[in-house]
Amino acid sequence: MLMGSDAGKDKASREEPPSLDEFSDRLDRMRGAPEDPEGPHKGPSAMGRAMRLSTELLAGLFVGCLIGLGLDKWLNTSPLFLLLGIGVGFAAGVLNVARVMKE
Amino acid sequence: MMDLRVAGPLEQFEIVPIVPLHFGSFDISFTNSSLWMVIGTGAIILFFAMATRRASLIPGRLQGMAEVMYEFIADLVRDTIGSDGRKFFPYVFTLFLWILIANLFGLLPTFPGARHELHTFTTTSHLIVTLALAMLTILIVIVYGFMKNGLKFFKLFVPSGVPVWLLPLIAVIEIVSFLSRPISLSVRLFANMFAGHIILKLFAGFIISLFGAGGAFALLGIFPFLGTIAVTMLEFLVAALQAYVFAVLTCIYLSDAAHAADH
Repeated sequence: MLMGSDAGKDKASREEPPSLDEFSDRLDRMRGAPEDPEGPHKGPSAMGRAMRLSTELLAGLFVGCLIGLGLDKWLNTSPLFLLLGIGVGFAAGVLNVARVMKE
Repeated sequence: MMDLRVAGPLEQFEIVPIVPLHFGSFDISFTNSSLWMVIGTGAIILFFAMATRRASLIPGRLQGMAEVMYEFIADLVRDTIGSDGRKFFPYVFTLFLWILIANLFGLLPTFPGARHELHTFTTTSHLIVTLALAMLTILIVIVYGFMKNGLKFFKLFVPSGVPVWLLPLIAVIEIVSFLSRPISLSVRLFANMFAGHIILKLFAGFIISLFGAGGAFALLGIFPFLGTIAVTMLEFLVAALQAYVFAVLTCIYLSDAAHAADH
């Protein structure tokens, strides 16, 4: 026999090869066993979380300021919409952060 | 005498044209960035062509690797978007692989003495590349959102249970929050790759400087050397993690578009 001695030990005594269903059962059992309920990618690191939250907050503020500046330039109302944009942008940033925290 | 001049940490991000091309007033040269995009894309195609060439029920090593990646993203798409998610699988899978390979290939060492055009280059360390990817995602979200929900897509900006007098303000804040998504998505990937590569370069630069100083200073070079090893390992983690984060967020945004009318 060319088969490796320990790899085929349990099958060597059998007459016919194991069925695919049985193989799939065994595969499921082996897969199911070592997996912990948390999973390997569930807990992000503190650093990653901090990065994520800060970019979310700043992105909201950035977009708010950009829209404010654009409206000011278009309507010649400087600095009315910039100030509004900062407020709305900050609120949007906080909303982003709140959403991330809820996940 | 050896040249001990230490290159600046920003030099690695320089765009160098390889084949200068112009289209009207646009500079569309084939640059080192383009070269590494082509290398990355080619590597992915080659890998999957080889992995699926002799597809069998009991997978070999290559096919096993390909299947693990496939199932990883397929599970992610199914869990986040639900049954509608199947049609987005090709997009998310391509995006994930492309970013992953771009991040990882950026960590390859440059062949010693290679010309500047051929230095290892991290395409994802440029904001415009990540921003283009994020814009593509948001564009798909908007187009698919309107296709699936029609005008009910606007419900995304109107959370339920808000008093009427507060609605205009909330809607504006929600719209700004929606528009900030491509920014935070792209800045996160770009900043991680950019900062990581600068730290790597700085630590490595210290080794050369300390060796150049000679004597007792040369012995101190061991510390930045150990630091470089640690940062390199960290960068491998960051490269994979950021590709994963980008894929996850893409799925979450697509899920918003798919379920906008249910809110």
